[in-house]
Amino acid sequence: MFAKMFEALYFKVLINIVVKRASTVVYIELYSKKKTIDTVHKEFETTKFNEDMLEFITNYTKESPYYYISLLDISSLQGALPTCSKNRLGYYYDLSDCEYRCYEGRWTYYTSKTELYDIEKKYKAIGVDFIFSPFVLLAKFFQDKINGTLAIYALIQENSISLCVFEEGSLIYADHLEIQASFSSDDILLSNDMDEDLELDLDSGIDLESIDVESEESELEDFGNIEDLDSIEDLDEFDDSKDIEEELLESNVSLEEAGDESFNEDYQRFTLIQNSIANFYKDERYESQFLENIYIADGVDVSSDLKKYLEEEMFLNVYVRHMELDAEVCEITKEELNI
Amino acid sequence: MKYSYIKPRKKTPFTPDVQLIITFFTITIIMLLGTYLFLLFKNYSFSNERVEFIESRLTLEKSIEDMDAKIAYIKKQKALSEKIFTQNMVLKDSIANLFDLVPERITLSRAELLKNGLILYGITPNKDVYNFMLQAPLRSIFQKTYTSFYPAENGWLHFVSTNYINEDEGEELDRED
Repeated sequence: MFAKMFEALYFKVLINIVVKRASTVVYIELYSKKKTIDTVHKEFETTKFNEDMLEFITNYTKESPYYYISLLDISSLQGALPTCSKNRLGYYYDLSDCEYRCYEGRWTYYTSKTELYDIEKKYKAIGVDFIFSPFVLLAKFFQDKINGTLAIYALIQENSISLCVFEEGSLIYADHLEIQASFSSDDILLSNDMDEDLELDLDSGIDLESIDVESEESELEDFGNIEDLDSIEDLDEFDDSKDIEEELLESNVSLEEAGDESFNEDYQRFTLIQNSIANFYKDERYESQFLENIYIADGVDVSSDLKKYLEEEMFLNVYVRHMELDAEVCEITKEELNI
Repeated sequence: MKYSYIKPRKKTPFTPDVQLIITFFTITIIMLLGTYLFLLFKNYSFSNERVEFIESRLTLEKSIEDMDAKIAYIKKQKALSEKIFTQNMVLKDSIANLFDLVPERITLSRAELLKNGLILYGITPNKDVYNFMLQAPLRSIFQKTYTSFYPAENGWLHFVSTNYINEDEGEELDRED
């Protein structure tokens, strides 16, 4: 009772840490009596926990004993499974070395225990109170959408994509995709050189035998297996399945034009999504259903190229919603604390 | 723990700073309370002592009164004893004077000393001896003198001389004493 009384006297300091590819974002929110007093946002040019970060965070943690440090899980060995039944979990993934939680009794998200220990070890100077899965973040962010019809939901971070397929609130499929380190400017120069070489080769003629037609065919087969595509009636439904409300929202947000660097990254993201969806169609453990819509939670300001690729190559209706990762982590922290 | 993989650390409002402040205030309150209790005890103790002192004072006052009464009684006794002593001295002197007063030829057989008088019994050869040698000095002392004679076997006279001092004078003499 005394603790509750004291808790009401202090404001809460919510410290949210999001580790990006080459930097770490620390978002601090001072929260008191159902309202935000102040917010602070700082980006450190390191992925490690250093003295500057410690000093910055300590300045705020000493303001109140009620401070909570939340982290977004960046583990590569994480994912989500479409069941909460312990007997069924093993069917999808071996969770013996994983920490897992059930989301509202409908589906399970997991992460590697070792990576959790590593995170706790890394931040032992300040301690960690919450570690959230990006899948939870995604489900919360698209709370208004996941209870609807079948669609893909993707949370795009700098170095990963968390991809889910939801239908009426139930998870059908999930995958966590790691993006390889982006091409440096040197790589781009090299690729330009390669283009030049290719042009030179074109001048001298194309060796048709060197083109691997079979591999492309196999990818096409994946799409060919979908019976729904064969029906013209269903094709008409494409237009009906469009989310007009989301399109209106999106029309206010213009995506950036692609630069050279983002072009490569977006293409890589597209490839990863494409492969993952192909895997969904192929994998017998998951019930294949034709996917028409994709909702993207954009945490990195993706360019319009990604949308274009998804629309043109995969015939998907793409809806992009910008997401402030750190602020969303903060929102889940509040929900976790019931404040 | 709805969404997080780990449980949050338990938060306590008792940070080292708060602990220091609480310790300081606790010690201060304990000291104040201690002082208050000490004063309360001392007050109670003093009240008891006061009651005891009052009782003791009353006893002593009573004792003083008793002693004063005793002193007064002793003083009275002393005064009385002195008075008696003086009276005795006076009486002794009076008796001595009386016997000096009695001539050799008159013999006293008995003398009664009264508060305001003297009764003498004796034998005298004759009235004249008595009248001149004893009655004259007695008259000088006493205002009222009555004498009666009756004969003795040997021819002498027995006499009874009753002498009184005036009562007023006697009282005055008493007062002077």
